[in-house]
Amino acid sequence: MAVDMNAPVLVVDDYQTMVRIIRNLLKQLGFENVDEASDGREALEKMRTKKYGLVISDWNMEPMTGYELLREVRADEILKPTPFIMVTAESKTENVIAAKKAGVNNYIVKPFNAQTLKAKVASVLGDF
Amino acid sequence: MPAPEVATKVRDAIIALKGADLKDPRLGEVLNLASQMSEAMQMFFSSIDRTLFDEMRYISSYIQRTRVEISNLRPNDLSEDRIPRAGAELHAVVQHTAEATNLIMAVAEDVMAADTSDPAAYQAFVSDKMMEIFEACTFQDITGQRIKKVVDTLTHIEHRLERFASVMGVEDAELEETSEDKRKRENLLNGPALNGPEVAQDDIDAMFGTEGPSMDQNDLDALFD
Repeated sequence: MAVDMNAPVLVVDDYQTMVRIIRNLLKQLGFENVDEASDGREALEKMRTKKYGLVISDWNMEPMTGYELLREVRADEILKPTPFIMVTAESKTENVIAAKKAGVNNYIVKPFNAQTLKAKVASVLGDF
Repeated sequence: MPAPEVATKVRDAIIALKGADLKDPRLGEVLNLASQMSEAMQMFFSSIDRTLFDEMRYISSYIQRTRVEISNLRPNDLSEDRIPRAGAELHAVVQHTAEATNLIMAVAEDVMAADTSDPAAYQAFVSDKMMEIFEACTFQDITGQRIKKVVDTLTHIEHRLERFASVMGVEDAELEETSEDKRKRENLLNGPALNGPEVAQDDIDAMFGTEGPSMDQNDLDALFD
């Protein structure tokens, strides 16, 4: 099935610089429709008012972490199917396993490059 | 009235009674016994007083030594100068880094969006933009110096606290978990690992089956063992 490049992508990170980097990389990949949120709570509010084709989220944010956001999303019958990629500096085994158990679709450790982001997005959404 | 003084008065009273013309010899025996008890009491109270005095002198010298050690810590210098200055240095590092990163990204965005129809103009434009990137990278030298100052301050505090703990014989107390600690523990907020990620991207890819064989739940569970 072809990837819908117009499907909105939600980038969740409390560092504006990182949001800007991911936004530019997504733009290079062909995703023009990108929204932003600075923590899990704001992301959840946006997800409840708009359907997103992909969520790319940091882990360590205040007041709601990306991990809490992931669990909220997977516990919500409507939001549950949303593809979710964690992009984070949290690189302990327990973090990766906890995210996987909570239902994350893929996991990227910071710092990362464009190729890694492209590969993970493709693994979640399909080749584009 | 201090205890030794009381004992002296009792003894004096007994001596006075013994000197009086006592008709009953048993009264003399009682007075002798009372006299011995009085002397024993006086020795007892004297020893207590000396012990208390020694204890008070030890406590006083301990407090004095503590004052000197705390003074050597220079707490006012730390709280009013060194720590605020270290905080300001770190704040400046964050600010400079963010400014430089934003400038570099803005330049990169400009280059990506540039008109390429005129190769000569495009080349000149890109050259100018590359110079802006080089200039922005000068932040690294300044932030390096600022971070070194912060490290020096932390080392200074570490050495003084180490000496204080050693001289005073201080041992670490058990700390109760704060709500912030609890939140960090429950949300696995470990922060970035030193010397690169603890789990490499390739290993994570193996867990998710992005490249190579995927880990199933048993493989994941085995990582906990």
